[in-house]
Amino acid sequence: MIFFRRWKYLIPTFRRAEERDMQEELDSLAAMSSEGELGNLTRAAERRREAWGWTRLEQLARDVRYAARSLRKSPAFTAAAVVSLGLGIGANTAIFTLIDALMLRWLPVHNPQELVQVTLRAKGVADPRENFNYPLVRAFADQEDVLAGAAGFSGANFSVGRPGALIRTPGAWVSGAFYETLGLKPEAGRLLTRQDDETSSPVVAVLSYNYWQRQFAASPAAVGQSILINGYPVTIAGVSPPGFNGANVGSVADITLPLAAMVPMNINGGVLLGPGNYWLRVLARPRMGVSVAEAKARLNAAWPAISAAAISPGMPRWLQEQIRGARLELTPGGTGWTLLRARFEKPLLVLMTIVALVLLIACANVANLSLARGAARRHEVGIRLAIGAGRWRIARQFLIESALISLCGGLLGVALAVSGSRALLSVLSSGPFKIAFDLTPNLHLLAFTGAVALACAILFGLAPALEATEGEAPAALKEDARMSHSGSRLRSSLVSLQVALSLVLTIGSGLFLRTLQNLRTLDPGFESEGVLLAGINEQRAENRPPQLTALFNDLVDRIEQVPGVLSASVSDNTPMSGGTWSEAAVPKGQPLPDHDSANFIAIGPRYFETMRTPLVSGREFTERDGAASPMVAIVNEAFARRYFPGRDPVGSYITATVSRPPVDLQIVGVAKNMALDGLRSAPPPAVYVSYFQRSQLAPTMLNIRVTGNFADAERAIRAQLQPRLPKIPLDIHGLSEQVEGTLLQERLMAMLASAFGVLALALAAVGLYGVLAYAVARRRNEIGIRFALGARQGQVLGMIVRDAARLVAIGIAIGLPAAWAASRFISSMLFGVTPMDTATVIWATATLALAGLMAGFLPAWRASRVNPMETLRNE
Amino acid sequence: MDVLQGTLDMLVLKTLVREPLHGYGVAKAIRASSSEALDIEFGSLYPALKRLELKGWIASKWETSEHNRRAKYYRLTPAGRKRLHEEHSKWTELVAAISGVMGPAQ
Repeated sequence: MIFFRRWKYLIPTFRRAEERDMQEELDSLAAMSSEGELGNLTRAAERRREAWGWTRLEQLARDVRYAARSLRKSPAFTAAAVVSLGLGIGANTAIFTLIDALMLRWLPVHNPQELVQVTLRAKGVADPRENFNYPLVRAFADQEDVLAGAAGFSGANFSVGRPGALIRTPGAWVSGAFYETLGLKPEAGRLLTRQDDETSSPVVAVLSYNYWQRQFAASPAAVGQSILINGYPVTIAGVSPPGFNGANVGSVADITLPLAAMVPMNINGGVLLGPGNYWLRVLARPRMGVSVAEAKARLNAAWPAISAAAISPGMPRWLQEQIRGARLELTPGGTGWTLLRARFEKPLLVLMTIVALVLLIACANVANLSLARGAARRHEVGIRLAIGAGRWRIARQFLIESALISLCGGLLGVALAVSGSRALLSVLSSGPFKIAFDLTPNLHLLAFTGAVALACAILFGLAPALEATEGEAPAALKEDARMSHSGSRLRSSLVSLQVALSLVLTIGSGLFLRTLQNLRTLDPGFESEGVLLAGINEQRAENRPPQLTALFNDLVDRIEQVPGVLSASVSDNTPMSGGTWSEAAVPKGQPLPDHDSANFIAIGPRYFETMRTPLVSGREFTERDGAASPMVAIVNEAFARRYFPGRDPVGSYITATVSRPPVDLQIVGVAKNMALDGLRSAPPPAVYVSYFQRSQLAPTMLNIRVTGNFADAERAIRAQLQPRLPKIPLDIHGLSEQVEGTLLQERLMAMLASAFGVLALALAAVGLYGVLAYAVARRRNEIGIRFALGARQGQVLGMIVRDAARLVAIGIAIGLPAAWAASRFISSMLFGVTPMDTATVIWATATLALAGLMAGFLPAWRASRVNPMETLRNE
Repeated sequence: MDVLQGTLDMLVLKTLVREPLHGYGVAKAIRASSSEALDIEFGSLYPALKRLELKGWIASKWETSEHNRRAKYYRLTPAGRKRLHEEHSKWTELVAAISGVMGPAQ
């Protein structure tokens, strides 16, 4: 209460009025009392002022004004400090922005902290299963006494519009309880309900707010309209609220369809709704009053009944047993789900450590600059101490200056981080996934940057503050007051620390660069340069294999007639597409294992010619290896080596589970190993089967080797294909792009680690230069005397360079073991180099030593040009 | 005799019960009603008046005195009256308790 009455005295007008009023009152009281009866009136006024005034705050404001003035007076120092900190804080904020967007942000839904992700942990399996089949999702949603709702979802791409004008639109398949579980309210129309998720219901879609704005200009009339999705008319039921883009973090779902619509829309014949396909992530919300532990216990109690829905008759017995014996787990799910989290968590944490080290170096730099400045201000401080300022008051003055510098650095950092994190995101998006993050600054971010800036202020401000107030006032007042010994030692150790940290970062960036280089120069077993891939993903059930053979043979023929096309082939998968198909396969006569033992790819004629993968023995598939001919296979070297050691498998038979029951295939060729799943892993045993002998429907890729301009070839190919495939949007891209996409993490690490390494090196060099330049300035007289006594220029030069070399050497001596310890944490991210790769360590140490000597040379040269007469005259 | 801070507030409130007074008047009234035993230092009284005003227990107003002089008069507010009542009963309890312990002087 008292505070409210006091607030008004924050306003100068009220303060002045109160002052006048008090003076008037005191005058009137003095007039009516006898002389001296009231004692010291000035003292009384002062004590009364404490009751209503804001003395401490006014003092603080005065200190801030004074600090700002004093910083303005040394613009070079201020600029250097603010820029160092700005770069450091900016780098930290940028990386933290991504970490926040990826891992920490709540989904924009009702009470996200209540949501849990349902996973299934099987005995003896390391990672819990995150994917569930459609019957299970429905079974979870029916556990109404435990769960208020359970939502299954998976991202998808839809083709929207008429044939000839199809637009590929990101979307999601969701279960009927999706919106109900998340607790969202429609922006227009209505959201999907459980009723919509029935195969007999009319097919309806929910649009995202952004899509509704973009495509329908946010018109309310959009609700009820019909749009063509994958060629099927779908009614727009409503629009989800702004900010919500689906539960898959990092990807946008513009159109959401109920899962059951797969049947009327004839998506893969609705086979994905069967019990054999585990592809849906599940978020659930325990019923009000049911704790997570309780919900978990009750769901597990119900599991024996639910798990019937989990098992498909086609599953091998061991898998059925495993699922029956598994336990459900509930983990916090309010931040949504994303594949990116597992992929980028470690790189981002490593980057966070790197930028934290950069910031530490920047802080050391600013501390050093402030120490030097503090030394120059000893005279000022001495005077203030002598006329009665308290030590705390002076230390506070220094801390306030540090806080001001931090504040400016923080603001600069945020500005840099906004553009920096956007640039980072575009690098991340250049990979196989399009990534959409909400990067608008939020409270997390402000709190983070604020805390970082404050920590910096304390980190670099404390040393100069203590240093400045140390020692006796009279000593500080002496004319030749010099830097105390402890201060110069502190400054030197700060520089050595900077050198050590930059060595760690330089070695790290060297390791990441080598990793990228090793992976890029690795022979993947094919030539990705010059190969175009045309994806024909939309498989329609009416295209049965016999027609497909004719269709694809025709397509390949047409493409091969396009000028610039060398060869073309068809396959169901391409190297490093992100997906693989595996089956059990062994030489005929051996028992089939329970688990898949080889990767499979279905390919057409001239596949290896198009990929430029050499055949070690035997032949490629030809047009004759069709449905009516004997089943044939080509195996890779790894398969041959494992199952046919020491002999040529061509002519032998293998048994494989490509259909049920397993069939025998005759090996007609052996191909060189191709990297299929990624460059890092050794190619696993692989079996190629003829595309036209596959019994199941498969996605289709056309592989096309072209010469000359990619864009021209792409246009010509599109012109040939599109009339034959009017209902299918063609996705054409280069194979080398696809391969490069798998190197995203490595590229990101190499790029950022080297950028931050260079920054660290530059900061450390500036720090070293500062310390030496200051030392030279301080020792001018001494150096002058040395010259007067007959020292040669070379000797003085050597003296200062030796100082520099000593600081750098100490830094390297600390940095090497530190790098050794740190590099073990990143060893899993490296490829083809050991964590303490000798060449990298030597290169990094040499770079650092060179930078150090260069930074030391300028002050040394200046020292060697000191004019003895001038300095002696000063003495 | 010295007066404790909390006690001073109570004395000021009590003094203002009968009539509004200016700062000098409060000092004189306390001295008079304590038979000159309590001589409040003006340096303590003057800040106390502002403190009580900020707490809302007294209010002030410029008025003209009987000697035709302008002075700032302080008067008790209803909140102040309530406060005084509380302080008073606490005080009575305290005095009774202490008297019980001390007994008559030997």
